[in-house]
Amino acid sequence: MIELLALNPSWWQETFLIKVPIGLLAVLLPAGTIVYLYLFKAISFMQSRLGPMEAGPYGSLQLLAEVGKWLQKEDIFPSKADKFVFAAAPFVVLMSTFLLVVVLPAGPDALFVDLDAGIYLAMAVSSVSVIGILMAGWSSANKYSLLGGIRAAGQLIAYELPLILAVVGVVIQAGTMNMQGIVLAQAEGEIFGWGGIGNPFILTQFIGFFIFMIAVQAELTQAPFDMPVAESELVTGYLTEYSGIRFLLFFIGEFASAGVFSAIAAVLFFGGWYVPGIDAGSQVFNVIGPLVLATKTMLIAFLIFWFRFTFPRFREDQLQRLAWKFLIPLSLANIAITGVLKVAV
Amino acid sequence: MVAQNVFFAILAILMIVSALKVVTTKNIVHAALWLVLVLAGVAGQFLLLGAEFVGVTQILVYIGAVIVLLLFGVMLTKASIGHEENINMPNRVLPAVIGTLMFAVMSYSIIDSYRGEELPKETVTSAAMVSDSIFSDFIIPFEAVSVLLLAALIGAVVIARKEPA
Amino acid sequence: MSVSTESEQLAYIASQAADARVNVEVETDEGMTLNLGPQHPATHGTLRIVAKLDGEKVVAAEPIMGYMHRGYEKLTEVRTYPQVTTLINRIDWLGSFANEVPFILAAEQLMEVEAPPRAQWIRTILFELSRIANVCLFLGDMAVQVGATTPVFYAFRDREFVLNQIERVTGGRFHPNFDRIGGLKDDLPKGWIEETRGALDRMKSFCDEMEELVLGNEIFQARTRNIGVIPGDIALSYGLSGANLRASGVDWDIRRDANVGLVYDQVDWKVWTHPDGDSFARFWVRLQETREACNIIDQLLGTIPSGPIMAKVPRIIKVPAGEAYVATENPLGEMGYYVVSKGDLTPFRVKIRSASFSNMSITPWVLKDVFVPDIISILASLYFILGDIDR
Repeated sequence: MIELLALNPSWWQETFLIKVPIGLLAVLLPAGTIVYLYLFKAISFMQSRLGPMEAGPYGSLQLLAEVGKWLQKEDIFPSKADKFVFAAAPFVVLMSTFLLVVVLPAGPDALFVDLDAGIYLAMAVSSVSVIGILMAGWSSANKYSLLGGIRAAGQLIAYELPLILAVVGVVIQAGTMNMQGIVLAQAEGEIFGWGGIGNPFILTQFIGFFIFMIAVQAELTQAPFDMPVAESELVTGYLTEYSGIRFLLFFIGEFASAGVFSAIAAVLFFGGWYVPGIDAGSQVFNVIGPLVLATKTMLIAFLIFWFRFTFPRFREDQLQRLAWKFLIPLSLANIAITGVLKVAV
Repeated sequence: MVAQNVFFAILAILMIVSALKVVTTKNIVHAALWLVLVLAGVAGQFLLLGAEFVGVTQILVYIGAVIVLLLFGVMLTKASIGHEENINMPNRVLPAVIGTLMFAVMSYSIIDSYRGEELPKETVTSAAMVSDSIFSDFIIPFEAVSVLLLAALIGAVVIARKEPA
Repeated sequence: MSVSTESEQLAYIASQAADARVNVEVETDEGMTLNLGPQHPATHGTLRIVAKLDGEKVVAAEPIMGYMHRGYEKLTEVRTYPQVTTLINRIDWLGSFANEVPFILAAEQLMEVEAPPRAQWIRTILFELSRIANVCLFLGDMAVQVGATTPVFYAFRDREFVLNQIERVTGGRFHPNFDRIGGLKDDLPKGWIEETRGALDRMKSFCDEMEELVLGNEIFQARTRNIGVIPGDIALSYGLSGANLRASGVDWDIRRDANVGLVYDQVDWKVWTHPDGDSFARFWVRLQETREACNIIDQLLGTIPSGPIMAKVPRIIKVPAGEAYVATENPLGEMGYYVVSKGDLTPFRVKIRSASFSNMSITPWVLKDVFVPDIISILASLYFILGDIDR
């Protein structure tokens, strides 16, 4: 970190000319793909309808049309709203998403920042989005929004814990919090003395993966944990009063976070940019690594949206019970077992 | 080192302005949100000093948990939008005295112990170093703190629990 | 009342306005008051629920109806008897044909005519088809209200087959206006019976699908079991009817116990009840009733007698003076028409007893001490159609 701030011209150039555009792309491209592939198309096929078909081939340009629509819409502020907080809230949520992508490695050298405490930073900044949601819920001057905001805060606090505890198992096994280190540990690891496919942690940390995915589902407020935005109860909760570009920002934040969290799951449990058969140090991965990571990300994101389309919604107290009485004890047990095995084996 | 000093100054000004806003704003939610900026500034200062782990912990614990709980509590008790009249403490002298005393003691101790000393230029403290020192040099305080936290946790459960009717 | 001065007049208006307002306790006491509706996705239109909350817990709730009142009872007084069916079609708009039947039966009772057997058979079949068209949507909608988006699309998809069959006979998908005093407008089209069997098969598989997708889902059960429990005696005292009553364990079905004019006695069928009285039981009973309706139609299709479909009635219908009340077991519950005739072309007075209006009366009782999400699931499980509440 310290060398980043040493006023090095090449570093500034590298950052603003290369890393920022690539970072934007890394956030927006998966978000767009997820919205089109899953939210528009997969859900339609599951619900025996076609989804968008008119804009572009198979409706593939529908998303652009939607973005255009949102940009044109009036940016409405409720008259009793706290204007500044109301305006700032979507940016806080979006900032949290953009900070998440910083620690993702997409190849041996294709990464933004090689932070020592990478996954720890990811967990930390993901919790910042709660503040944006609380700001949105409170400043809208709407009872539904306030209920939604409070529900979101309660839910996100409760699920932050199993999320982090699920990651701890992986960190113990990898012996590092560095995301690159976690990928390499999986690429170079062996399972039962056989290193043919490395050691993707899904094989040993499947309980961790299970908990992680449930917690992610809740963090992203996707069904069955979508009470903060429950459209049949709270009329989309903290989003009720938003329109136009600010709604679009929330929308991007939601689906970009889905993409980033899927990517984190891919790195933690599925070996990130690594595919078996090629040497992990090879320069090839700087080219195919991003594609490999994107593929894994999309497969995991499908899980998230599959659950979303299938399940009814929990009630708030049931959700808290699930977190505190089931997920957290389970993840603690997982950590204990992982720790014992790490020392013993 | 120049960049570090520049960033230190920017962060310090941001923190001071935000801290003043925390105590002068007339809206309690705004105060909490200004406090976010102060704490984010602290995290930034830690990062500037190369203490990655502590900085990230600052974000996770203070912004992600403490402030969220604070906002949560404030909003549950019907924080209204706009200025609130009766938000100021009637007794302002005592906190001011305590604050001044704290400031004096801390600046004296810091200046006293580090006067004339210069920190080594590139000191990145990794998580491994932090954990090594916690579990070797500071194991007794660490254990004491964990027992304290456990006691606090159990106490919270006992207080929050409803009496069986 | 006799009003003398202007100030007395104003006082009278003010007292009436106070009566019309929400329960004053709900409005003024401490705590947060949440207005659900009149525009809210869970109210299927313009129902308004005022709930006083403590956190997310409902302390008191009050339904406010009448945002869609269309004055049908009054309008019937200036319509001739055949014209009335056009209006009352629009009461429960999901199962329109079922609205016409009790009124026509009441008019027939006053005129002392009886529809020929074939017309009675086809009436019963269409009656049950509209029950399916109605309850089918409930099965999907209930899932939406507890948060699952997919089942409602399946409901709309498979409901289409039933609507097609209704359309083939009556020419109308939504508002058939097919029932006539003394019989029906037309006979069945050719090949209709076979096609209907196909639609019924489709419907049965839809029921199986719903049983797996919704009823068997653990989250759905967690959201509905022991939620909104209505004991049988409470249900009776609040005047609940239909599946809501049977889900509380009360074995009462007008089709079996007080049948008038329809041919349910010719069929071998079963009245489903559930002892629990919670939201889950209401869903379960409606699911079983949809299956039972398929069963009833299946049997009736095989035994339709031949013969005319209209009895001899005069071209200009004048109903003799008298009073009659006929109720049938409509998709939403008991629906009855109390018709008073003075021997004119138009009814003198018609009182419509619609099921949803009476079912709504229990909401203040059942919505006490539940959470906000439960308001939605309980309302959904009580199943109301706005047109059936505000006539």
